[in-house]
Amino acid sequence: MSFDNLSSNWSKLRVKRPQPDQYKDAPYKWAMVIDLDACTGCNACTTACYAENNLPVVGKERFLAGQAMHWLRIERYWGEGEELTQEFPEQGAEFLPMMCQQCESAPCEIVCPVGATHHTPDGLNSQVYNRCIGSRYCSANCPYKVRYFNWFDYPTNAWPSPLEQQLNPDVTVRSKGVMEKCTFCVQRLTEAKSKARTEGRIVNDGEVLTACAQACPSSAIHFGNLADSSSKVAKMWNAQQVELSAYPQKKDEQREKDEQLGKNEEVVRGYRILEDLRTYPSVVYLERIRSAEV
Amino acid sequence: MSGSGVNRRDFLQIVGLGGTAMALSACGNTSIESGVELVQSYVQPENFVVPGVGVYYASTCLQCASACGIMGRVREGRILKLEGNPNSTISGGKICGLGQAAVQQHYSPDRLTTPMIRENGSLKPATWDKAMALLNATLTSADAPGRRVWLTGPTSGHHQVLLRSLIDAGGATDTVVYDALSTAVEASVNRKLFGVDHPVTVIEKAGLVLSFGNDFLGAGESPVAAARQYARFRKAARRGILVQIEPKMTLTGANADRWVPIKPGTEGVFALGLARELLQRKEYSGGISPALIAAVEPYTQVEVSRITGVRGDLIPHLAGMLWEHAPSLVLAGRYPQGHAHGSRNTAAIALLNVVLQNQGKTLLRAADLPFPQLAPTAGDFKSLAELNKAMAAGQVRSLLIHGSNPVYSAPDFLGFAANLQKVAFKAAWVTELDETAAQCDLVLPLLSPLEDFGTHIPLNQSDGIELSMQQPLMQKLYPETRSFGDVLLDLLKKTKPDSYKAFPDYYGYLKTAIINAKPAFSAQAEDEAFWEETLSAGVLHRAAPLLPLSAMEITPAMIEQPAPGGYEAKYPFSLIPAVSASMRDGRPANLAWLQESPDTLTTVVWDSWAELHPSTAKAMDVREGDVLLIESAQGSIRAKAYLMPGIHPGSVAVPVGQGHDAYGRYATHIGVNPLKILDPIFDQDTGELALYATRVAITKTDRNERFTKDEGATNLQQGRKLVATLAADQVDLSKEMPFVIR
Amino acid sequence: MWYPLLVFPLALAGMSIAEPLQKGDHFGTFGPHEPFKQGGPIGSQTPDGFNALGPVVEQPIEFPHYIHVEKMGIDCLYCHTYARRSAVSGIPRLSKCIGCHQSIESVKDKPRIKMLLDYWDKKQAIPWKKVHDEPDFVRFNHERHIQRFIFQQERPTREACGYCHGDVGNMTTARRVKALSMGWCISCHQKDHKLNAVSDETSHGPNDCWQCHK
Repeated sequence: MSFDNLSSNWSKLRVKRPQPDQYKDAPYKWAMVIDLDACTGCNACTTACYAENNLPVVGKERFLAGQAMHWLRIERYWGEGEELTQEFPEQGAEFLPMMCQQCESAPCEIVCPVGATHHTPDGLNSQVYNRCIGSRYCSANCPYKVRYFNWFDYPTNAWPSPLEQQLNPDVTVRSKGVMEKCTFCVQRLTEAKSKARTEGRIVNDGEVLTACAQACPSSAIHFGNLADSSSKVAKMWNAQQVELSAYPQKKDEQREKDEQLGKNEEVVRGYRILEDLRTYPSVVYLERIRSAEV
Repeated sequence: MSGSGVNRRDFLQIVGLGGTAMALSACGNTSIESGVELVQSYVQPENFVVPGVGVYYASTCLQCASACGIMGRVREGRILKLEGNPNSTISGGKICGLGQAAVQQHYSPDRLTTPMIRENGSLKPATWDKAMALLNATLTSADAPGRRVWLTGPTSGHHQVLLRSLIDAGGATDTVVYDALSTAVEASVNRKLFGVDHPVTVIEKAGLVLSFGNDFLGAGESPVAAARQYARFRKAARRGILVQIEPKMTLTGANADRWVPIKPGTEGVFALGLARELLQRKEYSGGISPALIAAVEPYTQVEVSRITGVRGDLIPHLAGMLWEHAPSLVLAGRYPQGHAHGSRNTAAIALLNVVLQNQGKTLLRAADLPFPQLAPTAGDFKSLAELNKAMAAGQVRSLLIHGSNPVYSAPDFLGFAANLQKVAFKAAWVTELDETAAQCDLVLPLLSPLEDFGTHIPLNQSDGIELSMQQPLMQKLYPETRSFGDVLLDLLKKTKPDSYKAFPDYYGYLKTAIINAKPAFSAQAEDEAFWEETLSAGVLHRAAPLLPLSAMEITPAMIEQPAPGGYEAKYPFSLIPAVSASMRDGRPANLAWLQESPDTLTTVVWDSWAELHPSTAKAMDVREGDVLLIESAQGSIRAKAYLMPGIHPGSVAVPVGQGHDAYGRYATHIGVNPLKILDPIFDQDTGELALYATRVAITKTDRNERFTKDEGATNLQQGRKLVATLAADQVDLSKEMPFVIR
Repeated sequence: MWYPLLVFPLALAGMSIAEPLQKGDHFGTFGPHEPFKQGGPIGSQTPDGFNALGPVVEQPIEFPHYIHVEKMGIDCLYCHTYARRSAVSGIPRLSKCIGCHQSIESVKDKPRIKMLLDYWDKKQAIPWKKVHDEPDFVRFNHERHIQRFIFQQERPTREACGYCHGDVGNMTTARRVKALSMGWCISCHQKDHKLNAVSDETSHGPNDCWQCHK
């Protein structure tokens, strides 16, 4: 990237994000809805991600050093506060599938010294392994800590023969020194988009799924095209009253007002994680439900 | 940088960021090349094979007895990844982590590639000719005394048919089906009470599921099918409620609306207390005999609370909930079964279903299989114990092992490994050497499940009658591996040539069998087309409604509970060998993805641990990571302490599945095996091993080690709204878009 | 651009100088109708300004494209069928070669045909060497390019394939004659391309990193 190029295109690079109505006429904006009430914490999705995206198994020592490469992880919490309030977890555990949120205003995109991470026209946060020089600034900036660095050269030892035959040819096998993260299975999206383009249409709802959404036995992960108003995901975001480029959401303001007035109105349960950091993530989580009767 | 003629890679090397330039590694193509790699054409592929586009072939997953239909993405002749097969009524297009890891079993670097014969004390590679000659010599000498036993894991389908035929033809004397995690106690109680071993439990129709330790979402009998039903259960117009009562939290318990810790073994007492409360209502007591009503009378709230440790007021509360949220469903899991009075516990829990009149609503019977010879055979422990006794007495001449690893999973008190030495000829069929195969005289290399043909009947059939097909997803990796079906067929051809010589191989045999099954599935197509269609769909399915279930008489003797207590002071804790979805009985431990997959409740990886309640740990001054010595009267194991709020304070839980000493590079010498130190306690009615009745003493050693786990410094949300929870009455689910859950 | 000179004097010293063109060299597009057996040395300049020429690649059978394409008039897509529906264009399956050659008596005894029939007898796949081999981290999709240039813009097949592969129709075995580098691809992506043969609307090729980088 030459300095001339950088200086003449500065305004294109340093654009204010998110841009409202950015996807109004776009054919695709990929997004997810994760239903925390349906998620059982079984970890089928995380294993599916390993299989689809050539994730290396790092082994005990490196896992201990915090160098695991799981793009999608299931976090397990025992309570919402700072202390365990009950002797036993009477309402079970709190499971959270966490992966790259494909933030519209991604804190990682703006700090890469070589421009290895951008926002694609279809709404994903891209990570280009070639460009990456391994400064790890992006991972430092990520509030969700969903970026993983290849500290070691995994291709030489993570797949003892013939395990390398399992590798997905549509996904690069990353070697030492590059950052990686969840891509919403971009290889599947590209293939689906190409097939649809040949047929002169856009991808239909449900035609392409990420590996995690396809595996999930309780259908907790929903994936689709937010720019297609007839898609399941778009309808869910709508029903949950969450807007991609808004913070705070109107419904949250309303809920706060209701709570202050002591009104106990029914709520819709969609929210985004760490939304107050203004990352504008593309993943809506649906609050977990527990019966208060029992 | 096109002007300067120096590309970016060189730039970085010169400027000294040399290491990072290696991001484009030397192994693999990283620049424009010509004439280096091969691009081979196909010779004569099928019309639907397009290079660069994956083709999906249907098959069946064999990682557990669920027999989920799967499909494999095959590109350029090799299997890359598995998905669920949407045609399967078991998986419905979904798949669990265990199923995903099946490709790792197939591509395992430790696969056995040649037959092995023991010479001078160690196993040496040999040819198939020599191996089969040895096998035939031992099997066909029918006049020599002693049993010739086939020891297998749970089985179904045509393997089972061929094995039975082999026995009928005199090629062997009998089979023993062993399951380390058997639920034979429940099967026996169900048989007595309802006339069937496995009633169908329809979770999605229930308003309230009361589970006594049944881990249907995790290590249960059919987790994928159960999770699909669970999703519909939660999304019902009136959201289903789950109450879980168990001594240690399972994955299902982690999803409960109310999780109740209970003293191990007292589940039956609680169930009887709840029955007593329910029987106060005349709607329930009408159908129950006075003798039974009298039998539950002593189980008052105070008494039950004293024995179980559960607060007494939960009983009337639960009774009211069960009434309001009818129909309900009461499930018994492994915990209540695993005691000397396991049958009594399970019967007491089953009694609740009868009192609540759940039969016919959420408790039903699967339609009869038109081919009962293919029906699944669940294993148990008792048959292994009897076999062990016969082995010790020198009555077993040859032992042929497939799908079973008792040297690993049988408790030490059996002395199985030592008794194995008394068997003159031992052979095992494996894809990879395990502890049992390592002790055998002959070890034969199998095709992996992704390379083989087969038929399987799912254990849980809640939607019609299904036969799941298994077909190879690629050519076999190693020329010297063979199909188990082919080996059986070869043996049969020697003992009963007339019946089997028409079949060239197992494939031919299965094809004939499936074509013969056409009428059972009302298929109209021509034979060849039917066979192709069946392989392509992956399943043969026939709609059949679930049948009603009627309850037979429950006698007070069936539910009689023992007097509580009576434990040696020397062993103050109860040992819970905890079964997880990814490790099960230890068979999947050699799969790297599963070792790296954090345990769902503790997030520990690549290790074992000993779960203690924080209050117990505090009382013993134990911190996380302290290595504990856990001793039973049979032996001891060492494991690091993990503080887990979801466990009864009087128990210590150690996960099952680790502690292998010869099972591939990913499982060997990792963790400990709690099954080893189990006490010889058996269910008094069935003789099954009581998995949860062992008592142990815990001593601190002076070592402390760090845990390798996925959770960070805190396992609380610290007020960050990561997983928010709503009360069920705060949210109107009908406002959500109703989406289809398969 | 002064800064490269300042920072990389060593690199400049190590750079090779391109050899001047020799008389009789054939390369590039739409040259004379002779078998393209030899080209200039590696590093020679092609008319379109990119250092391009790849090495001569020796194949198991010296397949004469010029006979099949120039002489017989066979369309590229007849053999390299999958270019229209897959990312990969595909080397034709052996049964496709045999489909014609089992009945062509006149060339049955030619040495190259004999080699072909031998492979067929053994049912062995011919181990062709890949000539246009992009790095493993590049995702190149034939389908999109063929659909746009041949089916939508209705350009002749030989011309469209020739943009990247050169005039293969005049070669025996293929030889790389274009740079196939990222800059070269981008230079075309940045041009205005008509959406189809009759439209006035144009679009660029994708400029999104993730379209081409895996």
